[in-house]
Amino acid sequence: MKKQCIVCIALIALLSLVSLPLFSQGTAEAAKPAGPVTIELWYGAAITEAGPPPADWVGFQIIKDKLNIDLKLTALPSNESDQDVKVQAAAAANNLPDLFMVRRDVLTRLVPQGLIASVDDMYAKMPIRTKTHYDEVSRSHARFNGKAYGLADPGSIIKNEGLLIRKDWLDNLGLAVPTTTDELLAVMRAFTFNDPDGNGKNDTYGYGAFQEINNYEAWPGRRLEPIFGAFGVDGTWDMTASAAGLNLFKPEFYDAMAYLKQMVDEGIIDPNWLAYKKDDFRAAWKQGRFGIMREQNAAYAAQANYAPFDKNFPNGEWIVIDAPKGPKGHASIGPYTANFRIYAISAKAEKEGKKDKIAQLLEWMASDEGYYLLGWGVEGVNYTKDANGVPVAANLPDANLAFSAPGGQTVTQLRNMVFYNGDIELYARYPKYVTETSKKEMSALDVMRIMQTKKWTAAIGSDTLPIPNADLKRFYEQGLSEFITGKRVLTKDNWNKWLDEFKKLGGQDWNDKGVAFAKENNLLY
Amino acid sequence: MANKKQTNRFTSVAVKPTAADHSFNFVVDVFLVLLLIIIAVPLWSTITLSFRPNDYIGNNLEGMFLAPWNWSTAAYKALLGNAGFILAFGNSIKILIGGVATALLLTIPLAYVLSIPSLPGRRYLNLLVIIPYVFNVGMIPSYLLVTNLGLIDKLAAVFLPGAISTYNCLIMRSFFEGIPNELKESARIDGASEIQVLILIILPLSKAIIMTIGLFYGVSFWNDFFHAMLYLNSNKLQPLPILLRNILMASGMNEYVEVNAFGDAPIAAIKAASVFMSAIPMVIAYPFIQKYFTKGTLLGSVKG
Amino acid sequence: MRDIKRHRSVYVLLAIPLVYYIIFKYVPIFNGQIAFKDYMALDGVLGSQWVGLKHFKTFINSYYFVELLRNTLMYSFGKLVFSLPLAIILAIAIYESNRPRLRKVVQTLAYLPHFLSWVIMYGILLALLAPGDGILNDIIKLFGGKPIDFLTNTKAFPWIVILSDAWKEMGWSAIIFIAALMGIDPSLFEAALVEGANSWQRVRYITLPSIRPVIVIVVLLRLGTILDAGFNQIFMLYSTPVLSVADIIDTWVYRQGLLEFQFGLATAVGLFKGVIGMFLILGSNRLVKRFGGNSLY
Repeated sequence: MKKQCIVCIALIALLSLVSLPLFSQGTAEAAKPAGPVTIELWYGAAITEAGPPPADWVGFQIIKDKLNIDLKLTALPSNESDQDVKVQAAAAANNLPDLFMVRRDVLTRLVPQGLIASVDDMYAKMPIRTKTHYDEVSRSHARFNGKAYGLADPGSIIKNEGLLIRKDWLDNLGLAVPTTTDELLAVMRAFTFNDPDGNGKNDTYGYGAFQEINNYEAWPGRRLEPIFGAFGVDGTWDMTASAAGLNLFKPEFYDAMAYLKQMVDEGIIDPNWLAYKKDDFRAAWKQGRFGIMREQNAAYAAQANYAPFDKNFPNGEWIVIDAPKGPKGHASIGPYTANFRIYAISAKAEKEGKKDKIAQLLEWMASDEGYYLLGWGVEGVNYTKDANGVPVAANLPDANLAFSAPGGQTVTQLRNMVFYNGDIELYARYPKYVTETSKKEMSALDVMRIMQTKKWTAAIGSDTLPIPNADLKRFYEQGLSEFITGKRVLTKDNWNKWLDEFKKLGGQDWNDKGVAFAKENNLLY
Repeated sequence: MANKKQTNRFTSVAVKPTAADHSFNFVVDVFLVLLLIIIAVPLWSTITLSFRPNDYIGNNLEGMFLAPWNWSTAAYKALLGNAGFILAFGNSIKILIGGVATALLLTIPLAYVLSIPSLPGRRYLNLLVIIPYVFNVGMIPSYLLVTNLGLIDKLAAVFLPGAISTYNCLIMRSFFEGIPNELKESARIDGASEIQVLILIILPLSKAIIMTIGLFYGVSFWNDFFHAMLYLNSNKLQPLPILLRNILMASGMNEYVEVNAFGDAPIAAIKAASVFMSAIPMVIAYPFIQKYFTKGTLLGSVKG
Repeated sequence: MRDIKRHRSVYVLLAIPLVYYIIFKYVPIFNGQIAFKDYMALDGVLGSQWVGLKHFKTFINSYYFVELLRNTLMYSFGKLVFSLPLAIILAIAIYESNRPRLRKVVQTLAYLPHFLSWVIMYGILLALLAPGDGILNDIIKLFGGKPIDFLTNTKAFPWIVILSDAWKEMGWSAIIFIAALMGIDPSLFEAALVEGANSWQRVRYITLPSIRPVIVIVVLLRLGTILDAGFNQIFMLYSTPVLSVADIIDTWVYRQGLLEFQFGLATAVGLFKGVIGMFLILGSNRLVKRFGGNSLY
C-alpha cells in the first residue's frame, strides 16, 4: 500500500510540474539571439499613480529602431520601503533587472553581495550625459572601496524649501515678521490665541509640521529644522571640522528640545503634528489651520497646489522669511545635501555584455531627442516651444495631454532619468501664472530663488554617513519624542541619563564611525 | 413552511412567547441597531470624503453633513479616466477567477480527505498540513521557489503560493465533519467510492461553506498587494491593488509635486474613492453568497 | 480488502493537494535553512555558510526583545478575547433577529470595513481622534474637557489598535460563524420549544454548542499564529511617541531584517514564531481533546 502511494505521488508530482506553465500567463521572456537586445529597466516613475507609459508609446519604437534595444519597463512601487523590498527580493534570488533605480542604503548592502556592476567605465561611454549629470560629487556618492557602483543622477534641487508665514495674519494682528526665537514664540502665541483670521473661532495654531525623517534630518525631522537651526543643531550631523559629530550630543540640542517642548505645552504648534502624514499636513495649511511652516517651493506655489488655498483665502498671503535667530545668533532653514537618484547596473547584465547597450540608451536619453521626448513628450501633442525654446503647455489640440496635465503624465514617467535641473527644465516646470480667484501673479521658480537666498547649513555628503542599526534608531527617535510628549520629563538630569544610555547602546560608536567616515572622505567643512 | 402568525421563526411549533423571549428579542435588536450606527458613521464620513470638492475647508464633523448637491464626483471621474484602471481591473478579475477556481479545486478534496475518520495516518496528515501554517518562513524562501518555478512575471504567481490556505482548509474540514455520518456511511455501504461520496453527498450539502471559503479566497486574492508587487514586473500585468497602493502611498515620495495626476480632485477624496471603486466587485458578490446562507440546510436530508 | 479499495480513491483525491503542499509549502520550509546561514545571493541557499544560531541570538539579544514579545502577545490576545467573541455575538444576533431587513443591512454593512485598507483606516481614525480637530475631541471640548491625543498617547494607543481591528474585521470574522449557524438542525429547536425553553436558554443550550466545533477550530488556528499581531495595521498606525507600546515582532523584523537585507534574520524570527505557535497549538489541542471537543488533528 505504501509503495502504491509513493508511486502515485511521484507520478502526479511529475505531471503537475509539467503542467504548471499552463496555469500561468503573461509575457514569455525568451530573448531571441539575433533580434534587438532586451534591456530590463526598473524605473522610479515621476508620478507613479498616473500609470506607466502605454504599450504603444512612441519611445519604445524609437529606441528599438535607433538603438536596437527592446526596452522592458517596470515601474517601481510608489513607496520607498516597497521599492526596497522588491529590489532586495529580486537581489536575493539573483534576479535583478539590468538597470534599476535603488536607494543608497540598499545599494550599500547589495554591493558586498557581488550583485552590482561597477560603473566607473560608463562615464567615458556617455560623454554628453556625463557633462550634465555626473559631477565629482555625484561620482563619489555611490563609491564603495574606491569604485563607483551606481550612476547618481541629479535629484531634487537643493535648498528648495523655505520658512513661510501668513503675511495677512501678521497684518491683521499688527505684528512684524519675527526675526528671533523669542519673537517667533510671541507670533505663534498670537496666531493661536488672537484669532488671526478674524473668523471668531478658536481654530488656528502658530506652527504646522509633521514628522518627516531621513538619514541626515533625524527626529523631529525636516519640518522643524528651522527651530533646531536657531540653536545651531539642525540635521543629524554637525559637519564642521571643528565640532564634527552627532548634533544630539551638543548641549544646544537640549535647548532646542526645551523650546519645542514649550511650543507643544503652550499649544501653539498644531497638536496634530505628531499624527499627521504628508497629505494631512498639506491639506491643513490649505484650510488655514496654521500660520508658520516649512514647505517645499512647488508644494506651496505651483498652480495645482496653490489653487485650493487661493480659493479658500483670496486675501491670504504666505511670504518666505529668514530663519529666526536663536539665543546665540544661530539661524538656519535646515541642512542641505546634494540630492541624487541612483541607477545601478546588475552584475548579471554586465556578464551578459549589456553594459555598452545600457550606456547607449542612457546617452541617447541625454541627447536632444531623448531629453525632450522623455521630459515633455511629443512636440505638438504634449508640448510646444515658446520663443526661448522652453516647452510650454500652450496651443495644444488636446489640453489634457499637455505635459503638465493629468493626461500627459504617462508618457513622461521616465523624466527623472533625463532631467538635471537645467534652466529649460526649471522654466518649464515652474511657469509664471495668475491665480484664479485673487489674480495674483505667482511662480514657484521665483519662490525657490528667494528660498535659496536664505541661510542654510551645508551638510553635503551627510546622507552617505553610516546609519545606525534599527534598535539604536528606534531608541533615538522614540526617546526624543517621549521627551516632547511628556512621557519622559525633560530635565537636564533625565536628558543626560538618556544620552548615556544612548551612547552605551551604540550611539557613541555610531558617532565615532560617522566622524571617521566623514574625515576619510573629506566631507567636513 | 413558515407560518407568519408564529412568534418564533425557527419552528412550526406554536408556543406563546414568554417575557424572557421578549427581552431576548429586544436585546438582540438593540445590539444590532447600535452596531449599525457604530459601523455606519465612520463609513459615511469616508463616503462623503470621497465626494469632497477641492476647496473644502470645513472640519471633519461638518464634512459628514456636506449636502449632496455640493458633492463633487471629480475623484471618481479622475479614477475612471486613469489609463491603467481598466487594465488593472481586468488583471484582477483574471487573478480572481483563476485563483478561486484553483484554490477550491485543491482545497475541497484535501479538506474532505482530512475529514474521513477512518483514514489511516489521518493524524500525521493533519500535522503535515498544520506545520507550514505555523512555520511561516517568510518572503525570501518563497520568492526563491517562485523564481525557480519560472513563475516570475506570471499572473499565476500571485495566487499559486496561496492556493491552499491551511486556515480555510481546516475550517472546511470541520464543516465536512459536521455533516451527519449516517449519510456518508450509507453511501459507502452502497459501494460508493470516496470521490462519489464527496461529489454526490458532501458537495450538495456544503454550498454555504464552499461559497464562504470561495469568498475568503476571492477576497484575499483580490486584495493581495504584496505578492503582486514582488512577482509581477510587466506593466500590462499589474492588478488593482498595485494601482491602489500607488495612489494611497503617492505623496510619500512624489517629488514632482507641481503636477497633480488627478486634476481637480483633492488627494484625500481620490484615496477614499479608489478604495470604494476597488471594493465594488466584492461588495456586489456578497449578497449573492448570502443567498446560500439558508437555515437548516441539512433538514431534508437527515430526516429523509 | 474492501477498505484498501475504497481508500484508493482517497489517494486520488489526496495526490494533487499533497504534491501542492510539498512544492509550495515544504520547499520554502527547506529554503528556510537560511535561518541558520549567512545568506549570500550568489551562493544560493545550499552554498551559503552555516552560522548556527547567530540570527536567533541577534533577535533574542535585541535591546527591545522583551518589549516586542510583550506587545505582540498583548495585541494578539487582545484581539482574540475582544474581537472574536464580538464576531460570535454578532453572528448569533444576526441569526436570531426577527427583523429580516435589519438583519440583512447589518450583515452587509458590517462586511464592508474589511475592504478599507489601513491607509484609509488611518484617515478615518485621524478624522475621529486627532487632538486638534477630531470629531471625538470636538465633542470632548464641547463638554469642556481637554482634548486627548489618542493616536500618540501610550495609554490610549493599544485600545485604538484593538478597537479599530474589531470595528474593521468584526463583520468579516462573523461570516464563518453565520455559515456554521446555517447548518443547525431546526428539529433541535422544536424539541427545545416543546420542553419549554425560552430564547436565552435556546442560545445557551443549542445555538452555541452547535457552532462550538467551528469556534474551537478558529481559536486553535489563531493560537498557532499568535505572534502575528497584525503587521499592516500597526505599521500604518504607529509613530515614534508610541513605539514602546506599538512595536511588535513583525514591525521589528521589517525594519531590521527585510529593509537591511538580513533575510537569514527574518527567517529565523519566522521559525521562532513558529515554535511558539506550535507549542500553543499542541498544548491547546490536547486540552480540547481532554474535554472531548473536536480537535485539530
